[in-house]
Amino acid sequence: MKGEQHEEQGLGPDPAAPPQPKEEEEALIEFHRSYRDLFQFFCNNTTIHGAIRLVCSQHNRMKTAFWAVLWLCAFGMMYWQFGQLFGEYFSYPVSLNINLNSDKLVFPAVTICTLNPYRYTQIKEELEELDRITEQTLYDLYKYNSSSTLGTHPRGRRDLREPWPHPLQRLWAPAPPPGARGVRSAASSVRDNNPQVNRKDWKVGFQLCNRNKSDCFYQTYSSGVDAVREWYRFHYINILSRLRDTSPSSEEDMLDNFIFACRFNQASCNQANYSHFHHPIYGNCYTFNGKNNSNLWMSSMPGIKNGLSLTLRTEQNDFIPLLSTVTGARVMVHGQDEPAFMDDGGFNLRPGVETSISMRKEALDRLGGDYGDCTKNGSEVPVENLYLTKYTQQVCIHSCFQDSMIKECGCAYIFYPLPKNAEFCDYRKHNSWGYCYYKLQDAFSSDRLGCFTKCRKPCSVTSYQLSAGYSRWPSVTSQDWIFQMLSRQNNYTINNKRNGVAKLNIFFKELNYKTNSESPSVTMATLLSNLGSQWSLWFGSSVLSVVEMAELIFDLLVITFLMLLRRFRSRYWSPGRGGRGAQEVASTPASSLPSHFCPHSTSPPDPATSPALMAPPPAYATLGPCPSPSNLVEASSSAYTLGEP
Amino acid sequence: MGTTSHILLHIKLAWPSSPILIMAPGEKIKAKIKKNLPVTGPQAPTIKELMRWYCLNTNTHGCRRIVVSRGRLRRLLWVLFTLTAVALIFWHCALLISSFYTVSVSIKVHFQKLDFPAVTICNINPYKYSAVRDLLADLEQETRTALKNLYGFPENKSRKRREAESWTSAWEGTRPKFLKLVPLLAFSQDETSKARDFLTGRKRKVSGSIIHKASDVMHVHESKEVVGFQLCSNDTSKCAVYTFSSGVNAIQEWYKLHYMNIMAQVPLEKKINMSYSAEELLVTCFFDGMSCNARNFTLFHHPMYGNCYTFNNRENETILSTSMGGSEYGLQVILYINEEEYNPFLVSSTGAKVIVHRQDEYPFIEDIGTEIETAMATSIGMHLTESFKLSEPYSQCTEDGSDVPISNIYNAAYSLQICLHSCFQTKMVEKCGCAQYSQPLPPAANYCNYQQHPNWMYCYYQLHQAFVREELGCQSVCREACSFKEWTLTTSLAQWPSEVSEKWLLPILTWDQGQQIKKKLNKTDLAKLLIFYKDLNQRSIMESPANSIEMLLSNFGGQLGLWMSCSVVCVIEIIEVFFIDSFSIIARRQWHKAKEWWARRHAPPGPQGQDNLGLDIDDDLPTFTSALRLPPAPGTEVPGTPPPRYNTLRLERAFSDQLTDTQMPAES
Repeated sequence: MKGEQHEEQGLGPDPAAPPQPKEEEEALIEFHRSYRDLFQFFCNNTTIHGAIRLVCSQHNRMKTAFWAVLWLCAFGMMYWQFGQLFGEYFSYPVSLNINLNSDKLVFPAVTICTLNPYRYTQIKEELEELDRITEQTLYDLYKYNSSSTLGTHPRGRRDLREPWPHPLQRLWAPAPPPGARGVRSAASSVRDNNPQVNRKDWKVGFQLCNRNKSDCFYQTYSSGVDAVREWYRFHYINILSRLRDTSPSSEEDMLDNFIFACRFNQASCNQANYSHFHHPIYGNCYTFNGKNNSNLWMSSMPGIKNGLSLTLRTEQNDFIPLLSTVTGARVMVHGQDEPAFMDDGGFNLRPGVETSISMRKEALDRLGGDYGDCTKNGSEVPVENLYLTKYTQQVCIHSCFQDSMIKECGCAYIFYPLPKNAEFCDYRKHNSWGYCYYKLQDAFSSDRLGCFTKCRKPCSVTSYQLSAGYSRWPSVTSQDWIFQMLSRQNNYTINNKRNGVAKLNIFFKELNYKTNSESPSVTMATLLSNLGSQWSLWFGSSVLSVVEMAELIFDLLVITFLMLLRRFRSRYWSPGRGGRGAQEVASTPASSLPSHFCPHSTSPPDPATSPALMAPPPAYATLGPCPSPSNLVEASSSAYTLGEP
Repeated sequence: MGTTSHILLHIKLAWPSSPILIMAPGEKIKAKIKKNLPVTGPQAPTIKELMRWYCLNTNTHGCRRIVVSRGRLRRLLWVLFTLTAVALIFWHCALLISSFYTVSVSIKVHFQKLDFPAVTICNINPYKYSAVRDLLADLEQETRTALKNLYGFPENKSRKRREAESWTSAWEGTRPKFLKLVPLLAFSQDETSKARDFLTGRKRKVSGSIIHKASDVMHVHESKEVVGFQLCSNDTSKCAVYTFSSGVNAIQEWYKLHYMNIMAQVPLEKKINMSYSAEELLVTCFFDGMSCNARNFTLFHHPMYGNCYTFNNRENETILSTSMGGSEYGLQVILYINEEEYNPFLVSSTGAKVIVHRQDEYPFIEDIGTEIETAMATSIGMHLTESFKLSEPYSQCTEDGSDVPISNIYNAAYSLQICLHSCFQTKMVEKCGCAQYSQPLPPAANYCNYQQHPNWMYCYYQLHQAFVREELGCQSVCREACSFKEWTLTTSLAQWPSEVSEKWLLPILTWDQGQQIKKKLNKTDLAKLLIFYKDLNQRSIMESPANSIEMLLSNFGGQLGLWMSCSVVCVIEIIEVFFIDSFSIIARRQWHKAKEWWARRHAPPGPQGQDNLGLDIDDDLPTFTSALRLPPAPGTEVPGTPPPRYNTLRLERAFSDQLTDTQMPAES
């Protein structure tokens, strides 16, 4: 609009006050008076190589055609290349960098568990009945009289109480339909967890039914040991959920009894270095150098001396006999802000052995965003993080499972954290949760719950590769004084000899650590460079040339608009002057066209070849910037008549 | 003609401001040419003219439009476009340069016959206790006394110990020098300034900073005493008290302190003799399916582990290699770990240590050795990874350590760990005057012992604390090595020998070792070790420069081309116009100003001076060539006819050629 105004001003019909063509008074934006003018200007000043030949060699059709073909070829080549380059860029390729860094390392968190959830003496009352049933079952199935180990209860009192749900049964391989079985259960009757390894044609398992007993299946095991342990565990979970409120007492006492000595980097550990939590299976767990450690341990040198060294008690005096079948301790190395999944990444320590675990750190950094499917902090993953820790894939999967468990079964699995407004499963309240749980477990492992697709990889992962060496500890010559000392200082029972103690060293093997990081292999700068190379190669033009093209198009539009406006005006305001003006225009071009203006177009333009330029307008061109007053009048009058013929 | 009319118009316009009209006709022509021919190039009279000329003639896109476009807004937009393009070029080129020193990593997996690494095996116990007992008798005696006082338990009842007791009873009367030197103290938990001396039982006051104050979780009894020892500097004004959460650790550390003291005074020859011989340690040896013996092992004496034996060291100039992967083709040895000869206080675990390393590398047994358990077969599978890094300027690594300002006190190839240890040892010699026992001796230094350096222990502990806190600067000085080989080890264990094979295996081994040992072998005296390549794949991680100079240049070319269609020639042109020509114009201006100033100063004041001034102003626009030729003597004032007349004539011809190319006059 502004331009138009100035145009109007420039073309002002008042001949008495012609605009001075000084540079100071140059209009804000000026337009060419005609298409021809515009194209001449463009041809003279454009920087696109092919375009000059194509647009500006109008006098020779052969040449024009030739240049058009060439231009199209170059154009096609360039856009083909552009396509390739953009395709490469938008596939977001990454290149892997492996950096070997060596600097001071933050010692990871180390979690150690006792492998015994409760002291048998403390929990005996709750477990009494379960143990009795188990004992009975063992006798029924295997004719094993376990009274020697467990036997505090005389057998035969079973009939006094109501039978427990889900009794352990012996099943024949082609599973017979015992008792009430649903119609649908025939297909999925026996779920075989393990391939049958024993020669015998029967298995052991227990039955799980849904709420209204319409569908049942047998959870079976080929080995009786597995079956009894799983069955016991199943009942233990139920008892535990009732027991949950009464937390195990005297943890401090437990720690003192569990860890005899602790040193890091040749200095004693203290209270601030560890935190405690209780795991229903692995017992009391102590996390050293966890996230609430006041100042994190750093390793400035590799080697045993500069690592964590612990002396542990592994006595089994008060283990729960049917639950804890492993002796020793369980250790896990993990990052400070990650939860310790003792199930997934633990390492068992043997009693009587000094275990030296050497670590090597490895870090992996993925590029997030378009470059890969990973999440920076898990905020965009549609699973609520039940652990109040950093996002890891394991955290997410566990949370996801717990989530589905609550949705499907109405109660929470005890080994995972309790979400709000939920309670742990107990078959007294949720009588079919076992059925539900095993079904869900099956769906989970075959990824029908979608947990594995929902949970994305975290973008940065730090892992510790562990390798262990073992030596007997204490040695024959030194065991006397060591045991004596431990017994005096830590109430160690000497009779246990080597089975009651274990030693653990965790240290960095080397301070070099490998960082695998991704970086975009095509960056914006290289992409633009490649585009520029292609563009220069095929066209010799640049982004500014494109702006020139844009300007040309803009000018064309504006000029068209102005001409239409003028035509409209001339038709309604001064229709009588049209014929004269047209004659004038016809007479002017040859004389007033500056011959040097466009060296290529010396011959008068052929109206047939360029219909857009059919009205020869060059009168304005000459008038352009410095028209004399008289010329201006003529020009303006002729301009009105442009559209007339 | 149109051109003439334009010229006239301009002259009219210029009338009021310039004194052209009263000039000579020659001047007039010159002025005409100057005004109408923009194609002046380096001869342009003003910077603006030069810029205009440049914009019209350059191949760089954008510039021409600034001049050619009509309309102020249009011009402004074009200036903006051009400047944006220039800025983008600079920005992207800066990005390209900043990412020039990146590396790309290639991982190659070779399948080839692999050189077997050097394998160093040590017994955890350094010296046969029977051999070193003479030296350590006093110390043992005192340790037992301390134990007795500390924990009150009686000497054990085993036959061996009884012997020892009777043997050491002869020393009853002697003065307990070790406890006196560094007394073991029991601290009560609540008052740490009071301590009970074990030797005398007297309470004594402890002053000084307590280093590891045992505000511990670890003590069981409520009123438990914490055990530790006190290290003082020379004047005993500054003391550090070390306490330990467990008495076991306290005793061991205390013992080790004195042990190192004693052993530091024993010559190396004697120490080697006191330790295990190769024949003793290595019962059987198999390599690559062939039998080998103790002669294939070379001795390496480690201060804390005694005699260690290195297999496949480059002793006889050939490095053994394995032709196959798998445990059958690796090294199989059975080690004799004589548990009876263990030092009860120095080492508390039984077994051997093994380390896999490069032939020219120092084996850091104490830091990264893998333990081997007795009565077990330990299989160690290896996987070789080689890493090559690019040194400066890509990373900070060093090729051979020659550019690290730490002298390598180890007789081995450079590694980061060697550098750190060397640095610490050097600092130790500097600060404490003696060298720490567990590391090699720097030239012209002695190992620390109490007789000569009474306060070395305090000094050492202080220094070690400083080292851990990185106050010694070792960590910043030492750089990693650029290339290293590492063997990833996978350990697995099996019970060995089995119950049934034990019966025949042990007698045979006993018979084999008949000359060396005089007793029947027990299965806990033996350990089996297998070290082998899991596969013959060798992984090499190699860094190579991700960018070459050609790539950088082509990327530069791409950027220049993309935004402005510029090239190196354009850049040269820009440099020429913007720097050389502009400066020459400015210089010329300045020169004329100076000349004018000179002229005014020397010319007599008057109306004529005004005239001359006007002429001079006009005269300051001669062409460049004339300007160059213009060193007129300051005094020679030429007010009349200036010389440039001829020059203008010459130039005119030159311009008329260019006129057709650059159709500028139509615009102005």
